[in-house]
Amino acid sequence: MNSFLSAFFSGTAQGAIYALVSLGLVLVWRGAGVVNFAQMGQAMFTTYIASQLIQHNYSYWTAFVIALACGAILGAIVDLGLMRPLTSRKNSQLLNSQSMRTTIPVIASLGILGVLKALAGIIWAGEERGFPSPVPANAIKIGETSLAITGFDLFVIGVVFVTLVLTTIFFTRTGMGLAMRASALNPEVTRLSGIRVGSVRTLGWAISGAASSLAGLLVTPKTNLSPNTLDLLLIVGFTAAVVGGLTSLTGSVLGGFIIGYVIAFVNVYSAPENVFIAILVFLLLALFIRPQGILGSKEVRRV
Amino acid sequence: MFKGKSHKVIGARSTFLAVLFFLIFLLLSSQFGPYNQSQLANIATLVIAVFSITLLTGASGQISLGQGAIMAVGGYGSALLVTKLGLSMWLAFILAIFISALFGLFLGLAAARLSGPYLAGTTLVMALAIPSIAVRFETFFSGDVGLSVDYGYPPNWLTKLLGEISIEEWSLYVVLPFAALALFAVLNLSNSRSGRTWRAVRDNEVSAALAGINIARTKVIVFICASALAGLAGALYGFRGLVAPSVYPTDLSLTLLTAAVIGGLRSIGGAIFGTAVIVFLPDVIEKVTKNLAISETIASYLPALIIGLLLLLVVIFNPRGSAGALERLRHHRKH
Repeated sequence: MNSFLSAFFSGTAQGAIYALVSLGLVLVWRGAGVVNFAQMGQAMFTTYIASQLIQHNYSYWTAFVIALACGAILGAIVDLGLMRPLTSRKNSQLLNSQSMRTTIPVIASLGILGVLKALAGIIWAGEERGFPSPVPANAIKIGETSLAITGFDLFVIGVVFVTLVLTTIFFTRTGMGLAMRASALNPEVTRLSGIRVGSVRTLGWAISGAASSLAGLLVTPKTNLSPNTLDLLLIVGFTAAVVGGLTSLTGSVLGGFIIGYVIAFVNVYSAPENVFIAILVFLLLALFIRPQGILGSKEVRRV
Repeated sequence: MFKGKSHKVIGARSTFLAVLFFLIFLLLSSQFGPYNQSQLANIATLVIAVFSITLLTGASGQISLGQGAIMAVGGYGSALLVTKLGLSMWLAFILAIFISALFGLFLGLAAARLSGPYLAGTTLVMALAIPSIAVRFETFFSGDVGLSVDYGYPPNWLTKLLGEISIEEWSLYVVLPFAALALFAVLNLSNSRSGRTWRAVRDNEVSAALAGINIARTKVIVFICASALAGLAGALYGFRGLVAPSVYPTDLSLTLLTAAVIGGLRSIGGAIFGTAVIVFLPDVIEKVTKNLAISETIASYLPALIIGLLLLLVVIFNPRGSAGALERLRHHRKH
């Protein structure tokens, strides 16, 4: 029972982080039709910025806010500087072919990933460093019995919960959120009703950048920080997004928690070295059984 | 699909080019020292894997971020055949082609259902998961330690013919025939009926289907061909000394893709050029940084930075790579 509970709690906390990553991927995919493989590279970079600020005696929360802002700016820069010119160029012979229109942005995002990793290595010397957590990471105790959940886990779950509530309010209650949903659904019609689809798209990239930046801040106290630490998070987040449905925001969050539990239970009941294989098998199963994802729309059935 | 008109398919042009490739590498190797000879062998090995991307992404429009994992399949296949069954190295290389082709069949069956980002992500997960299998089943694959295998020593008749042969030269002599054969096969494939079919699927699946092409079957066949090439490259790559998870990391897959993009995704000559860039660029950068007295940490990340920037610049300004630039230059001169 105890191992079940500890798997459940660590699955919830990890799943919350995966949900953020997957949310970031889905936001960009819906808005721009690009899976951004550089996403966690951006997050790694902003986490380094936060770490640098903390080393220079700024408070955790100052660094936290600045990292999120940097994440948003970086996301917007990637869209404005690279992805928009790339995908709007219709006359290029290479982009004329159907399959290349999705392939070229993927390659471009891999280029960004490579550049960001190398830059982080050059600027911050690349050695692994710790990243602080704002709350103690000890198991919480009630009287004598210690629970299977740490204070930091609770903090992660709380922050992600607040983020998800804010995101939901943004998308359902504000005009900007409505504009984003509309332009993801049908860019042409949205443009005709007077909404600047391009700016909305860039906003999507910015929110995605901030969300993944947050994921980076929340995961590094446990994993430490190096140019490569967040690579795995991208792969897990991608699996979560596919499981939940690349077109559905709710689905992506759901997928994040599901994959969180899968990994936690494999870790506890099997062995940690089985995790990668479990992810691959889970991804393939999801693609075979329900290629559009749990909450994905039927239109994109032909993945 | 492969039947008929075979006299046209096995063209004189591709034979000529493959022989030319072979001779140019031999000529270069006679001018180089041992280190650059082993770098030449690296180019000849990796170019086979880059060819697989030229077929897969360039010709048929399917992206794979996991060619390094397929190289691992070929590498482990051949290394196990040699160490456990005691087969000869050459036979193991040939069998590695078939093992990875079989793997490509299964991969293709799954991949035919996927496109674009789904395929990219799934193959990336594969690139991570496959090498970890070697750690999971440690007793069979010897885990992180890996299996040590090598090219062995040159046979007596060759040393009698050419005099003393260094280890580096011998490694080039082992891989070069395979690289030339791979070049020959890829040239023929892309000029054959199947190559045209692949391009039709790449450019527009609906019109290709309307023209009577079986899309799913075509995609599976491309995956089989590409995996066979990547597996062969992986086997040759492993026999440099070690077959282990660290030899086939995720970065290897991305490096191969970068080579293909820099050279020009759709060009076979570009694949060779891109591979040469990837292999020699770190050496060039090291030479430059040594003269400039740049600190060691910066110097160690500089190749990755420059290769990443190169990839971005190519994608933005010239998505068809060096081959596209060359073509445009030729076009300009005509007018």
